[in-house]
Amino acid sequence: MDFSDVVGFVDIPGSNLVPYVAELINCTGGINGSPVEVRVAEVGDDAALAAQELLDWGAQFLIGPPFADFALPILQTTGGNVPLFVAASTEPTLADASINSYLVTFDDFAMAGAAAQWALDQGITRAIVFTEGEGIPYTGVNPDAFAAAFVAGGGEVVSTQTYVWAADTDFSAQVNEIAGISENNEVVFSAALAFQVTALRGQLEGQGLDGLTYIGTDAMDATGIQVEANNEGIAHTPHTSISAGDPIDTLLAGYEASRGEALASRGFMALYVDSLFLGIQGMLDCDCTEPADIGEAVKQISGFQGLSGEITYAGTNGIPPKAVPINQIVNGEDVLVATIGG
Amino acid sequence: MTELLQNLIDGLGRGSIYALLALGVAVVFGVMHLLNFAHGELITVSGYATFWAMAAGWSWYLTVPLIVVVSVATSLAIERVAFSRVRGADDFTLLLTSFGVHFVVSAIFLLYVSASVKTFPRPGWVTNTYALGSLRVEVFDTVVIGVTVVTLLATTLLLQRTMFGLALRAAAADFDTARLMGVRSNSVIRGAFALSGLLAGIASVFWLMRAGSISPSAGINPMLKGVLAALVGGLGSLRGAVLGGLALGLAEVLLRSRLPDSVASLTEGVVFLLIALLFIFRPQGIVTVTHAERV
Repeated sequence: MDFSDVVGFVDIPGSNLVPYVAELINCTGGINGSPVEVRVAEVGDDAALAAQELLDWGAQFLIGPPFADFALPILQTTGGNVPLFVAASTEPTLADASINSYLVTFDDFAMAGAAAQWALDQGITRAIVFTEGEGIPYTGVNPDAFAAAFVAGGGEVVSTQTYVWAADTDFSAQVNEIAGISENNEVVFSAALAFQVTALRGQLEGQGLDGLTYIGTDAMDATGIQVEANNEGIAHTPHTSISAGDPIDTLLAGYEASRGEALASRGFMALYVDSLFLGIQGMLDCDCTEPADIGEAVKQISGFQGLSGEITYAGTNGIPPKAVPINQIVNGEDVLVATIGG
Repeated sequence: MTELLQNLIDGLGRGSIYALLALGVAVVFGVMHLLNFAHGELITVSGYATFWAMAAGWSWYLTVPLIVVVSVATSLAIERVAFSRVRGADDFTLLLTSFGVHFVVSAIFLLYVSASVKTFPRPGWVTNTYALGSLRVEVFDTVVIGVTVVTLLATTLLLQRTMFGLALRAAAADFDTARLMGVRSNSVIRGAFALSGLLAGIASVFWLMRAGSISPSAGINPMLKGVLAALVGGLGSLRGAVLGGLALGLAEVLLRSRLPDSVASLTEGVVFLLIALLFIFRPQGIVTVTHAERV
């Protein structure tokens, strides 16, 4: 797990939740009488070393941090012989069933494609896309995928703007350009963080562009679009749309009661729990403990009912064909307004 | 033409904040020869203070003075805890110490607060605009430019008309001779850090109003802008720091606006390329600084 502020916003709560779930399993007798053991290793500045520590300990499968910078050294260490669930990642290039590397959620193409479909379903035919640059993982791939899906669905991308992800909060130059071409009816798509989207929205509204629709990626959920000011109407694609009383909501409430503190990044937590259960499912399916054999079984998993939705790896390259929830802030509440694909 | 004017106003607004940051870097460099890579942490600490104040129900009117006070106090604390221990050390040691402070402050917030971005409401007027002929000018940019001008004038008066300013300028010109002439090194160095913190505090107010968020690594970007602007302007020159900040802000906005869409994502890279070219032809930066070498 990465505990830096690059990925720590999901990996820190995830690494707290997974041992808690293992405790719950063990309290009920474990898996076929055997306890589930979890060891957390921080990647620090050497993900390969952290992975080696876990392999030396005897890990039968790994739950790893998102982003290639961390996941690729781990894969080099496992040599493809130990299943790796890249829990919170949507990076399509990290999925490769032939080397036992799996996403637990939809990838960027599915996520941005669903966002484009939702915008088209709202009757919107013009889009303004913010990107960090063509082909850049996540911050460029998502806008590329959105634009391709939007145009394929009959829409038009009227403006493509660049920005610095996770840093820019002054969009004056872009806003001036948009003000010159906007018809005040476009959808604005980006993979930007929540506070960037609301900053952009404020500046666009300052120019009189108050009729725009905003939709973003899972980054919005990760950075708290639900608690941002001026968030009304903003749509995003979370990994889990949580309602009161859902199994994941109950689990998170149980964690809070047990540990005395709530977990951050709630929408991502089901992915970590599902990663644990997918590994266990592989062991149960093969009735084995050898990592390579578990990996073979994981490749055949089909119709697994996870907390984040149904997960199938059979016939895929490690990217489960999951439905993408579309949430929107309506009357101050973050509510599920559509489910696309799957 | 209208878009160009609009860009110039936007660039001056952005550049004004960079100028305040660069000025703080330049003040400390002048007396200590320290290129302070921990300068951005003043914004990080102020940002968390803002987050907690807002969570406690404080308004921006109350939070603004808090930000400035926290920034000054943090600057003095960093000097006391870290830099006073290595005073007189070579430039490289000072540089490494400043990096160390930067990483330690980030790690403290990461470990003891959260890795997640913390957000707080921006003031409602931040995105308001008004018409100026065919231009739509942001109230925020106008306020930033106005406050920066007033701050620069006040800083100039402080440096030109007070004993502290005289001591600071003397120390910047030749620290050892200034000490021989009776300037107390502790006072002038702490004063420089306090002034640097004050300038960073004012910059923090605007930076945080625009950002509406804080995270453990939030100080990196403003630190880079401040240090770069100070380098572009000519290290150690207060006038150069201001010019460097404005030049950097204008370059960013104009390049992002003028570069073709296909290469617009290279804006930051092009800015650095221009800075590299500047250093090839003017290694000393925009303003040439002449002062005695510390030995």
